[in-house]
Amino acid sequence: MLGYISKRLGLAVLVAMTVSIIAYMLLYLSGDPALAIAGEGARQADIDMVRKTYGFDQPIIVQFGNWVLKLISGDLGTSIYFKTDVGPLIFSKLVTTMLLALYALAFALVISVPLGVIAAIYKNSWIDRLCLAVAVVGQAMPNFFFALILIMLFSISWRMLPVSGSDTWQHFVMPAITLGYYAAPAFMRLIRAGMIEVLEADYIRTARAKGLPTRTVVFKHALRNAIVPVVALAAVQLGFLLGGSIVIETIFALDGLGYLAYQSITHKDFPVTQVIVLLLSVIYILLTLASDIANAWLDPRIRVA
Amino acid sequence: MTIDSNEIVLDVQGLTVDIKTPRGVLHVVRDISLQVKRGETLCIVGESGCGKSITSLSMMGLLPKTATRNSRVFNFLGEDIARADKRRINDLRGNRMAMIFQEPMTALNPAYTIGDQLTEHYRHHKHASAEQARVRAVALLEKVGIASAAERLGQYPHQLSGGLRQRVMIAMALMCGPELLIADEPSTALDVTIQAQILRLLADLQAELGIAMVLITHDLGVVARIANRVAVMYAGQIVEEGLTKDIFAAPQHPYTQGLISCIPIPGRTIPGGKLGTIPGVVPSLIGEIKGCAFKDRCSSAQERCSGDIPLRHTAHGQQWRCILEHQEVAA
Amino acid sequence: MLNNKALVFGCGLLIFIVACALLAPWISPHDPYFQDLTNRTVPPFWYEKGSWLHPLGTDQLGRDYLSRLIYGARISLLIGISVAIISGLIGTTMGMLAGYFGGRIDMAVSFLVTTRLSMPVILVALATVALVGSSLWIVIMVLGLLKWDRFAVVMRSATQQVRSMEYVSAAQSAGASTLRIMLTEVLPNVMPHLIVIATLEAASAILLEAALSFLGLGVQPPLPSWGLMISEAKSYMFFSFWLIAIPGTALAVLIFSINLAGDGLHQALTPGERA
Repeated sequence: MLGYISKRLGLAVLVAMTVSIIAYMLLYLSGDPALAIAGEGARQADIDMVRKTYGFDQPIIVQFGNWVLKLISGDLGTSIYFKTDVGPLIFSKLVTTMLLALYALAFALVISVPLGVIAAIYKNSWIDRLCLAVAVVGQAMPNFFFALILIMLFSISWRMLPVSGSDTWQHFVMPAITLGYYAAPAFMRLIRAGMIEVLEADYIRTARAKGLPTRTVVFKHALRNAIVPVVALAAVQLGFLLGGSIVIETIFALDGLGYLAYQSITHKDFPVTQVIVLLLSVIYILLTLASDIANAWLDPRIRVA
Repeated sequence: MTIDSNEIVLDVQGLTVDIKTPRGVLHVVRDISLQVKRGETLCIVGESGCGKSITSLSMMGLLPKTATRNSRVFNFLGEDIARADKRRINDLRGNRMAMIFQEPMTALNPAYTIGDQLTEHYRHHKHASAEQARVRAVALLEKVGIASAAERLGQYPHQLSGGLRQRVMIAMALMCGPELLIADEPSTALDVTIQAQILRLLADLQAELGIAMVLITHDLGVVARIANRVAVMYAGQIVEEGLTKDIFAAPQHPYTQGLISCIPIPGRTIPGGKLGTIPGVVPSLIGEIKGCAFKDRCSSAQERCSGDIPLRHTAHGQQWRCILEHQEVAA
Repeated sequence: MLNNKALVFGCGLLIFIVACALLAPWISPHDPYFQDLTNRTVPPFWYEKGSWLHPLGTDQLGRDYLSRLIYGARISLLIGISVAIISGLIGTTMGMLAGYFGGRIDMAVSFLVTTRLSMPVILVALATVALVGSSLWIVIMVLGLLKWDRFAVVMRSATQQVRSMEYVSAAQSAGASTLRIMLTEVLPNVMPHLIVIATLEAASAILLEAALSFLGLGVQPPLPSWGLMISEAKSYMFFSFWLIAIPGTALAVLIFSINLAGDGLHQALTPGERA
């Protein structure tokens, strides 16, 4: 088990390094970053000053090296737009976004696990088809459209939930639902497929032969084995949720990392954008690593090798 | 293998099982009847596809959803379980009647420990505490011949060999002290040396606990070793039934005779002589079969075989379905 | 095949949408760019104030909504198909190379896929578009260059399966060149998987473009991208709900039909999945 972990950790570090290079290189997509920061119609002198201030006149390798060194020592740069240090700016919002992602994941699982189990038990019946129909429709809806509909219903018509801001837990309800419903169908299909396969297994027949009640057979014996790929998917989906939070947070003006990303991108705030891309990627890498380890741990055949 | 009481544990009369398939309805079990008494081992023997496994599953109510079961009589210890509701069946399963299966490698849940799987149904049926269940589990593991029983409780199935797993399955089946044990080819998937051990174990346990046992097998050697009575199945029907020694000494049905001639019997088969074969193939189980199902492969077949086949019997309790009357069979 | 309801219904719907998009100049009642400021936010015909002159009403600049809807289909379909082709080419090449040759090439491709997967697509796409400039073709290029991962993964495993088949060894021993084998033996056999993934990625690309345009960093006005239409109508949402409902529903229907067709294809090409 330990060997497995160290191998995966090594790979993760390598990927993180590559991503950091790409994140930094984003800067150069616009051609001349000094021009982009100074803005169109700026005078040559201004552009040159920007170039010198930010060190764009040095070779790229040196720039990248400096950036990495600063990162490691904790200096995440200064935001051009907000004029504060990037570090505290980002981490205050990170918590909000992580909360949102977790709520969304919880919501997705709460609806998809029961639906998946039911669809598997009543395989090919009308119940099964209904669950699948819900899944297919759920995946067809654009999330921003769904968000607007929810706002219309819950904020305007029924006045139950606030539209924007991030002060209370109520502010998280609609964003969490909007973010989570898109992930639900994938979970549902996975659980359904997993349960169908597991329910055919010999050990399920043994459990039934022992006279155990159906709920014990389904939940203790079947689901426990069917859920393994779901854990892996959950970690991966959490990563996607973090990325997908940009649109949702912007719509609901939820003060998280996604909203910050949107603001910094639209204002060409490179330092912030670069760090956010790197941060989200590193989180995703860590999540994938955690999911691999959890996967291995859940399967006693790997854990107790 | 002594029979110490005459109480009938399982009484099945007129059992039929049909399975719906895309190609039509499969009449897998066609009107069979059998009884098992306390302390008695009944072997159901037949080739693949004759319906013996389905018969055993139907006794436990573990048939697939596509199957329909009908019977005139279906009594367990005098209680009609054909009409019993789901809750009653679950009460009996694992508790008064238990089953072990052919593939020990896949019959245990890889995610839970041996101890957990041994004790869960015991705690459920007997409302026992964890400690009580643990004690009983250790006792039974020792009884089935597993050393370091207490340590085994914490192990996972993948840490045990096939033979050990099958012993665990047997212990698991015996946890609640059932009166009927159904074993579906319990030794088939194991190495030959382990096979003998498992069969001996089953025989010893039965003698000690006095349980009724139904053992499904395709191997006549197993029958000879362990069975009091044997029922020979062919194409969904029991074609011959009786005491093991009678069947081996004087098989009446041509199919049984064919089966026995196929195996070398020490002391009887002439060295260098030819082993028998049964020509032809098993008929399809879809649709009605008129008369005897074996007639196309039988060397003694006549026109009468397409009509009603009488059930014949001897005074000893040997029965067979054939137009042929009792013969003293030459060795 | 015709028993496959998903395939029939999905393809049927999709073909209908494609037909509408292709016939846009002939079936649109008006010019989608023509602004009639005297007729702003006219509701669709089923409302009291609506009329058949503008069957789906007009937007905040007086442009006919039905026409914009139909032309918007063109944009979405164009995005979906182009991105699927670009990312399909990239990903399939990578996947087939990795699956066929294995070894170091496989490791390299897997590493690239893992790296790409670690980066949130929408974030990178947003940043790229913001820096390079936003237009229809830039969106297509950016998405195409980002969304090849699924192709690579699936084509890799499909190629691995096909590679072990006998007809490949037969071709190899007959002395056929690697490229020839890949094109004539491997590719036709992994094609079913390719098509299914292509439909999924097309749908995903359409949704991504809609999200980008919604945030203002995708297709630029006055193009009638459905996502952009929703964004423009956001502030009128409370009084003229149809302004967002119509393009939103159109998006949902298009994605639904593509997913359904893809599902149907998947069922048709892998028998035994679901009865």
